[in-house]
Amino acid sequence: MPAEGWPKQRRLLGTRVKRIDGPDKATGRAKYSYDINRKGMLYGMILRSPYAHAKIKSIDSTAARKVPGFKAITIIGVSRDWVVVKADAAANTLEVKTPPNKKGGKEEQKTISVTPTVTLIHNNKPVKLADLKADDRVTVEVEQDAVGRELFYAGDEVAAVAADTEEHAKDALKAIKVEYDQLDHFVNEDEVIKNPKKRTVPGPGQGNITEIKEFVKGDPAAGFKEADAVAEGTYGVPVISHQCLETHGLVAEWDADGGLTVWASTQATVGVAGAMAGRFAVPQGKSKCITHFMGGGFGSKFGPGVWGVTAADLARRAGAPVKLMLDREEEITTAGNRPSASGRVKIGGKKDGTITAFDIDCHGTPGYTGGATVTLNALPYVYLDTIPNYRRAHQIVFINAGRAEAMRAPGHPQNCVLTEFAVDDLAAKLGIDPSIIRRKNLPPNNPQSKDPISWVARRNTIYNEQFDIAEKLSGWKEKWHPPGKGRGTTVKHGIGMAIHTWGGFPSGQVNQVDVTINKDGSVTTQTSTQDLGTAQRTVNAIVTAEILGLNPPDITVKIGESQYGPSSGSGGSTTCPSQAPATLLAAQAARNDLFAKVAPRVGADPKDLAIAAGKVTDKKNNKEWTWKEFCARLGMDEAKGKGEWSQGIANQEGNENISSGQVGGVQTAEVLVDTETGVVKVLHMVAVQDCGLVVNKLACESQVAGGVIMGLNYALFEEIIRDSATGRQVNPDMEFYKLGGIRDMPKISVHMMDMPERGVIGIGEPPTISTAAAIGNAVFNAIGVRVPFIPLSPKRVLDAIAKGGAK
Amino acid sequence: VKNFTYHQPTTIQMALPLLDAEWGKTELLAGGTDLLDRQKEYVSQPEKVVSLTALEGDFRKIVGAGAAGATIGAGVKLIDLAESKQLAAFPALTSAAAQIAGPQIRNMGTLGGSLCQRNRCWYFRDEHVNCLLKGGKKCPAQEGENQYHAIFTSGHQCVIVHPSTLAPPLIALGATAQIVGPKGAREIPVEKMFQAPVKDGQREHTLAPNEILVSVKIAAPAGLRNASYEVKQRETCEWPLVQASVAFALDGKTAKNVRVVLGHVAPTPLVSETAAKALEGKEVTEATASAAGTAACEGVRPLSQNEYKVQLLRVAVKRAALLAAGAKPYWEG
Repeated sequence: MPAEGWPKQRRLLGTRVKRIDGPDKATGRAKYSYDINRKGMLYGMILRSPYAHAKIKSIDSTAARKVPGFKAITIIGVSRDWVVVKADAAANTLEVKTPPNKKGGKEEQKTISVTPTVTLIHNNKPVKLADLKADDRVTVEVEQDAVGRELFYAGDEVAAVAADTEEHAKDALKAIKVEYDQLDHFVNEDEVIKNPKKRTVPGPGQGNITEIKEFVKGDPAAGFKEADAVAEGTYGVPVISHQCLETHGLVAEWDADGGLTVWASTQATVGVAGAMAGRFAVPQGKSKCITHFMGGGFGSKFGPGVWGVTAADLARRAGAPVKLMLDREEEITTAGNRPSASGRVKIGGKKDGTITAFDIDCHGTPGYTGGATVTLNALPYVYLDTIPNYRRAHQIVFINAGRAEAMRAPGHPQNCVLTEFAVDDLAAKLGIDPSIIRRKNLPPNNPQSKDPISWVARRNTIYNEQFDIAEKLSGWKEKWHPPGKGRGTTVKHGIGMAIHTWGGFPSGQVNQVDVTINKDGSVTTQTSTQDLGTAQRTVNAIVTAEILGLNPPDITVKIGESQYGPSSGSGGSTTCPSQAPATLLAAQAARNDLFAKVAPRVGADPKDLAIAAGKVTDKKNNKEWTWKEFCARLGMDEAKGKGEWSQGIANQEGNENISSGQVGGVQTAEVLVDTETGVVKVLHMVAVQDCGLVVNKLACESQVAGGVIMGLNYALFEEIIRDSATGRQVNPDMEFYKLGGIRDMPKISVHMMDMPERGVIGIGEPPTISTAAAIGNAVFNAIGVRVPFIPLSPKRVLDAIAKGGAK
Repeated sequence: VKNFTYHQPTTIQMALPLLDAEWGKTELLAGGTDLLDRQKEYVSQPEKVVSLTALEGDFRKIVGAGAAGATIGAGVKLIDLAESKQLAAFPALTSAAAQIAGPQIRNMGTLGGSLCQRNRCWYFRDEHVNCLLKGGKKCPAQEGENQYHAIFTSGHQCVIVHPSTLAPPLIALGATAQIVGPKGAREIPVEKMFQAPVKDGQREHTLAPNEILVSVKIAAPAGLRNASYEVKQRETCEWPLVQASVAFALDGKTAKNVRVVLGHVAPTPLVSETAAKALEGKEVTEATASAAGTAACEGVRPLSQNEYKVQLLRVAVKRAALLAAGAKPYWEG
C-alpha cells in the first residue's frame, strides 16, 4: 500500500508552536545528566598529563588510596582481558593466557604477581585472587604497566579516581604521584611545517604532516588564462571548541543483575548503550542509556568517551554509582574541536562574473589524531560544481593537542570561509556586486532529474529566490557599495553575503516511533531519540497531534531512553527527517488501529471514519463523536501504531515526498567597523533557508538564529590559543576563549522557505555554515581590505588596515 | 580546593588579628569572584580565609556626595557603584563599574576586591605553569602568547596588566585609600597603592598582608570633567584591551590640572604625565586630544604580539579626553 504521506490540509504543521518542554527547561524542572544524583553516588575525576608530549616515568597511587573518602581508582590505558590458567592465592600469582578469537594474534601466556596495586575484575566486579578459577575471564590492571606509556597532549588521561565528594576526589587525584619524562612537542601548525621530518604524535612515520591530497578538474592553467581578473589570497580559520554548555560526561550505575544504566549527556542514546554493552560485555538488553535532556553536543557527543567508560569502570570497582562530568578546562582541551584550515587560494573570472578557474592549497589540524572530521576541502563546495577548471590540494597537520570531533556541518564552515572570501575578492577585482558573481555561478537546475520537485531539479531557482529574499530583507540594493566606499569615516559601514548547502536526509539507520492511544483519549508517543536541539518532543507531538486531531500539549512524548527501540545518533541533521516521518507513520497506524477496533462498536465502517479537530466523524451515517467519547469505546483495549523510517525506506517508491534532502541558504551581514580600534559590530544578519516541509516554524527559526549566533562567534571571537613553549592551551576557559553575549548579538532576520512538497529535511547544520564568511565579507566591504584570518579581532583588523585599507 | 578554615569577623578590629604578616597562608575574601577561582584552580591555596562579608559599619556604604567628597566603603558592590547617585559627578568611575564583566560579577564583586584582585595573566592562572610570580625563573609571556599583555614593559620582567578598571578613574579623580593594619590607620593616594610584582610573595598592590583596605575617598572639586574609555573586543563579560581615564577642571575653555591614567597596558595603572601635559592649559579638541593620545604612548615597548595595543591606547586616551570635554562621540557611527 502506498504511503498516505503528509496531510494536504495542515492544521499544526508549519505553524509556530512553543516547545512543550519549554517551561521545564526555563524553571529547572528538566533534569539534565549533570542534574542526576543517585543514592550512594560517588564522584569521578580524571588525572591528566600536564605536558603536551611525555612518557610516564613512574607512578604510585599508594597515598591516593589513603585519602579520606577514596573509593576506587583506575589507571587508564593499561588494563587487559585474560583467561585464567591458574590462580595461586598462596603464592599471590595469577597465571593467564590471551582470550580466544583474537584474530590472528599470537597466544600469549604470563604470570602476574598480584601486589596491592594490581586490580582484578571478573563479571564486572572486583575480585580477589582466591575468587578466581581456571578458564574464568579476568580483567587485570597492573598499575606499573603505566610506566613508559606515552601521552600525546596536555590533557591526555593518566588515571581516574572515585570518592564520596568532589573535594575528596580532587584530593585523591592530587595524591597520585606521577613523574614524567618530557618529550618534544608541537602545538602549533607552523612549527610542524617548519619541522616536517619530526614526529611527535602516535603511529609510525616521519613527520606530523600527511602527503598532499590533490584533485584536479579540467585545466586550471587555461582557466586562469581565460580570466579577466585573478584574485589571490591566503585565508584561514582557527581551531575552535564546541563549548557545550553542559559538559561531556555521565552517571553510571550497575544493578544487581549485572546490568548497566548510564545517564549520559549524549546525542546518541542507542549508540552509547551499545558501546557500553560492547565495552563491558553486558548483554544489549541490560545496557541502558537515558538522556531526557541534554545541554548541547554539536557533533561531539556520539560515544561514551574515555570519561564515560571510566565512570562505568570506577562504578563497577566501587560498587556504587559514579558521576563523572568534565570541568570546563577538560571540556575545551579534550572533548573535541573543529579543525582549523588555512591556505593560499587563487580564483579567476570573467567580467560578467563567470568563474573560470579556482586553485587552493591548504592545511588544517585536528589535534593529535582525527578521522572523518578533517576531510577539509575534499567536499566540493557550492561553486566548485560549476567551475570548469579547478585544483584543490590539502594536507593534515597533526599537533600535540586534543582530537577533533564532528562539529555542526563538518568541513563546511571552513570551506565556506576559504571559498567565499576568494569569491568576494574576485568580485572586487572585477568591479562587480558580489551578488552578481554568486548568482552567475550557481549550479543549474537539472531538467533530467527523475523527481521534478527535488533539489537537483530546482536548485538554481531556489537559490535565486533566496537571493531575492535576502536582498530585499537586508536592503542589499540600497546598502551595497564598492569595498571601502561606504558611509562613515572613522566607523565604516559594510555589507556582505555568503551562501551554503547541506544534505539533511534521513539517517541510514532505522528510527522507530510508537504511538499509543488509550481509552481515556490520552496519547503517548515514544522513541529512543534524544533532543540535541531539534525541540524533538515538540516535533513528535506536533506530528502526532496533527494526525489525531489533537493539540501538541495533549501528547505525552517519551524520548531519550535507549530501550524505546532503535534510533540513530543526531548527526548530519538527520533527526527531524528520520523522526517526523516515523511519527507520521506511527500516528497514522495508531489511528487506523483505533478505527478498526472501535468501528464495529459504533456500527461504522472504518473506511468512513475520519478525524477532524477534536473529533471523529462518520461521513456515511453523518455521526460524530468527540475524541474522548470515541476513544472510550476502546473498552479495556488500546490502539497502537508503529512507524519506522530511514534513508532506505525514504528511497522506496511512493515515499519521495515524506522526507528528502539537500538545501541551500543565503545569508547577509551588515557591519560597522571602527577603523581606529578594529572593533567589529554586527548590526543585522539575514538568513534565508529552505528545509522542505517546515514542521515547527518557531523551532526552525530558532535553529537558524542559533546557527547564525554560532557563526557570528566563529567570525569574531572564538579561537583556541596554545603556547609553543609549555605546550598548553592558554585559554581553556570562557574568559579568554571568547563567546559573545547578548549585547554582541545583532538583529537576526530569519526567513524560512516552506516547501511542503519536498517532505521533511534537516535544518540543524546548514544555517551556521555561511555566517562567518558573510561577516568577513561585510568587513571587507566596509574597510576595502581583506582581513584574511578569523576571528576578526581588533588586532587582525588593525593589521589589515595598516597594510593598506581604509583611511 | 584545599581545605581551609573560614572566619567571618563582624568588625575590622576582629579581622586584623586573624591576618598574617606574610602572604600565602591567609587570604581575604570580599565578593569571591577572584579568590574562589584561584582556589579551585590551585593557584592560591590558603589555609585560612578571612571573609569581609559580615563587616558592620560603613564598610558597605557610600557616605557623602559630589564635590564635598564621597567616601566609598571597600565592601560596596560594583553594581551599587555603577548606579550610585552620590557618585553621579564621577562618570569616569561609575561608567567603568557599569562595564565590568556581567551582572552576576557586578552583583558580587566589590570596590576593594577590584583594587586588590590578582592579575588575569593566563600563565599565572595556570596551575601547571611556574611563572615569575609563582617561584619560576622567567616570565613565559615575554616570548609566548602575549597579545593581551603589557606594552609598557621596561623595568620589570613580569608583563601582566593590572586588572582593575576602577583604579585608573580613581587615580584620575585624585582619590585616596584608607587602610588599617596592626599599627593603626593610614591614608595614601590610590596611585601609591600599586606596584609591579616581580616575584613570588608579592602582590599587585602595596598593602601589607596584615592590612585591610577600608575605604576610598574622592574629594574632587566641583565641575571636574572626567571620563573613562575602554576598548573591548566584546560588549559582554570582557576585559578591556586598553583603558584610559581623564579628568580636568575647566578654566573658561582650557583644561587645568589634567590627569590622564592608563589601564591594561602595564603591571600597574599608569599615570601619564606626558599625556596630561599635552592637554594642560589647552582647549580639548580632536587635535589636542589626539596629541594627548600620542603623548600617552611615549615609552611603550610592546611585546611580540601586542603592538596593536599602542594604537588602541592612543585612541582610548583621545576618546576619554573628548568624552570628558563633553564632545559628541564621533565614533558612534
